[in-house]
Amino acid sequence: MVNRTGPPPPGRRCLEPSGDPMLAARFAVPPLPRLRVHRPALLSRLTAGARGPLTLVNGPAGAGKTMLAAAWLAESPVPGPAVWLTVEPGDAPGAFWAYVLEAFDRHGVKLATAPGRPTRAAGVDRSFLVRIAEGLAESEQPVVLVLDQFDADCAREITDGLQFVLRNCAGGLRLVLTGRTDSLLPMHRYRAAGALAEIRNADLRFTVAETRLLLREHGLELSAEAVRVLADRTGGWAAGLRLCALAMQAGEDPEAFVREFAASRTTIADYLLTEVLDAQPPSTQELLLRASVTDPIHPDLADALTGRDDAAWTLARLARANAFLEQVDGSAWYRLHPLFAEVLHAHLRHRHPGLEPGLHRRAARWLAGTGRLTDAVAQAAAGGDWQFAAGLLVDRLAVDRLFTGLDCERLTRTFAAMPQGLPGAAPAVVAAACRLAGQDLDGCVGELRRADEYLDESAAPATRLSRALVGARAGRLSGDLAATGQAVADATRLLDDCPQLLPGRRPEIRALLLASQGAVELGAGRFDRAEARLSAAVEACDGPGTEQPLCEALGSLALVELVRGRLEQAAEHARGSLAVAERSALLPPRAAGIDHLVLAGVATEHDDLATARAELDLAAASAGPLPEPVAAAAAAVIRCRLATAAGDLEEALAEVRAPGAAAHARRLPRWAVDDLAIAESSAYLAHGDPGAALDLLEAAACDRPEHTVALARALLAAGHRRRAMDLLAELPADAPISTAGRVRACLVQAQGAAENGSAREARRFLRQALGQARPQELRRVFVESGPCVRRLLRQDPQLARAHPWLPSGGAGHPARPGRAALVAPVTEREVEVLCQAAQLLSTEEIAAALYLSVNTVKTHLKSVYRKLSVTRRGDAVRRARDLGLL
Amino acid sequence: MRYEFRVVGTVSETLAEAFPEFDSTPVTEQTLFFGPVTDEAHLYGLLVRFQALGLHVLEMRELPE
Repeated sequence: MVNRTGPPPPGRRCLEPSGDPMLAARFAVPPLPRLRVHRPALLSRLTAGARGPLTLVNGPAGAGKTMLAAAWLAESPVPGPAVWLTVEPGDAPGAFWAYVLEAFDRHGVKLATAPGRPTRAAGVDRSFLVRIAEGLAESEQPVVLVLDQFDADCAREITDGLQFVLRNCAGGLRLVLTGRTDSLLPMHRYRAAGALAEIRNADLRFTVAETRLLLREHGLELSAEAVRVLADRTGGWAAGLRLCALAMQAGEDPEAFVREFAASRTTIADYLLTEVLDAQPPSTQELLLRASVTDPIHPDLADALTGRDDAAWTLARLARANAFLEQVDGSAWYRLHPLFAEVLHAHLRHRHPGLEPGLHRRAARWLAGTGRLTDAVAQAAAGGDWQFAAGLLVDRLAVDRLFTGLDCERLTRTFAAMPQGLPGAAPAVVAAACRLAGQDLDGCVGELRRADEYLDESAAPATRLSRALVGARAGRLSGDLAATGQAVADATRLLDDCPQLLPGRRPEIRALLLASQGAVELGAGRFDRAEARLSAAVEACDGPGTEQPLCEALGSLALVELVRGRLEQAAEHARGSLAVAERSALLPPRAAGIDHLVLAGVATEHDDLATARAELDLAAASAGPLPEPVAAAAAAVIRCRLATAAGDLEEALAEVRAPGAAAHARRLPRWAVDDLAIAESSAYLAHGDPGAALDLLEAAACDRPEHTVALARALLAAGHRRRAMDLLAELPADAPISTAGRVRACLVQAQGAAENGSAREARRFLRQALGQARPQELRRVFVESGPCVRRLLRQDPQLARAHPWLPSGGAGHPARPGRAALVAPVTEREVEVLCQAAQLLSTEEIAAALYLSVNTVKTHLKSVYRKLSVTRRGDAVRRARDLGLL
Repeated sequence: MRYEFRVVGTVSETLAEAFPEFDSTPVTEQTLFFGPVTDEAHLYGLLVRFQALGLHVLEMRELPE
């Protein structure tokens, strides 16, 4: 038995994920017409088909597909709870899945695992589909999902997702698709496996016997010859037959109709529709013609279009007459037969040329009045009323829908047709947002400037606020902190003037503003204040519709903590952000995959390079084409460190220079530029080129303590020990420096002391470094510091034993699981030989460089090969790097 | 590209209005529609529109420019 969808339970807000009211029409099983022909053979074919995963009902418009499926649900034994969803052409994948879940909900199907809710139009991620499939697999009975009007113009992602769920739900889903065209599902596979049931046009055609039944249902008794002619001329086309019956009922002499019809040279549809339409009184014709600009039709909307007040009665009468208009069960909406809608549309253009745009505009205003924002915008655009369309988005503070949300794609596509340079602030603001959504920063700034020409203190607060919101986003992406700050300040001032923002409403706007403030503070290098703002943004995200800003704020917060060197908090926030994204099936591009980026950064500091690389790959996969400059710089630093660890200087340099090269349009904060310079100098040092590192750091002078430490390190490597030590000695004890920076300073000092011959001093600094690095297990700093630090550690086995978290090779013991242990510790001399080998010197050259005999070098190398279980020099170097020996 | 569609039956002016981008001429028991087709999506859209109107397309071909 079918659970018919009534009105939604009281207290339940019936909204689309985009915030617009949901159309109950799409979840309702269409009501069966009073007069119809029972077709038991087809019904039992459907029942047989639903024992398998996939059933197709394919045929042209008006062939009776939808009716057949509805009759099946109502009258036949369906093998489980049935869910109905009418698919709209052009549904974005995210919207499609949101509707599927809503349909499950309304038809009382509870999934064992809650899959979350997609909030983004362009798609859903794999884990979301996995959870749906899992939920279906665990349900006691298979769920029968009827997707009505599932046609080939569905997005590829939708069919791919359906196919994935169908394959992985362990028989928990029986799919019935009705459509005019073959969908993009891989039918051949199901057909080959015998798991596909098909009902096609040839099966749906009315036979002569069925034609007679249909006519009899309509109270028409015709001669056998007339019935045969009708069946023949219409080709058994259900809609054609039905319309014929209607026309004959209205006429005097059915037999004469058939004779005339058979002799007519016009096409069937044309003949019938003119006949059917002409049979209606003029006022009804007018109503139908005007209402054909919207689908579905609401009586009030129809009244708005005709300027009369008889639509409710007329539409109800037409729907009862059972022809081309059906009432959508459980709602006040009506749906025109697609065939009829097309013809009405054509008639409208023909009879009232030039009337259509005006009707679209009227429909837009009515829809806007009921809160159906996206539909209203689409109607306004169809009517060429761009001022109204843009004004709607701006006044309702919904400009953000051009970036996020389920209607994002539809809206950007609609506004792509907007002519350029329309006067007024609202079109300029919307154009700016569209440019921004299309990653065109310069274009966005230009449009914003154009908007400013129209905006002064007298402009509506909502318009100014919308402009400020777009400006803040543009400023963040271009790294223009002054513009961001200005925009955020403007917006904050305007918040209280907007009646749309009464307390408790639209929390995402406040969250967005706080997050933008955080971005400004982060850019200015005021990390504490950035943290405070972003935490406030996270707290402001409460309730539905705030997933996107929450995810972004957590990601930015994670980045702030990473930059400050608070790894644990950074990882926690990053995981939090990922969890939110997962739960709400958000897809990239969020804030440029920033959460994965932060996790990569944390893994790098822990010297877990494999994880770091994997997270970087994930970050790159989920990054939008235009991450915020700060995030781009952080990514470059991490990539540079990884390339350095792999011994690839060229790649390291290329990575670190990429954000600078792209900086002509996007400004990097000073501290980020300095971080890049430090990473670059590190790469040079690792490559044994202290001169280049020194030149670089001296050219990019900066008073950050991190810079001072890096400079000291380069000086020491270049042989200027005294200057290096003096620099570090001058560094105040309470300088605002990250833990990793302080540890590095201690290590440089330890190294300097060791070179100076004061072993006790060196050990003191080393102990200090270890103590500071321990809470966060900052292993990478020790590895990057080179062989000298390892030498110091080896000289002090007691100290090394006290710090088992240290990287392997430090004390000659493997501290990391998952890596093969060394056969025996590699000696210091062997490491030196290996170092030379890593610089591609020949055996003779190594011997010369280390003042050894060629044979001794060979002996050392052989023993290194044995200890590292390799047979070739290249492998030895690579493995030694993996183990952190080099 | 320009296309020509050959459709069964004589299509009235009103019904032909459903294809405002096309010109049409009746020939014996058939109607020819011809005009510009923007891209493949447009082409398939047209076929669906013909089908939605119950028009049976006998033949379609691309016209030389």
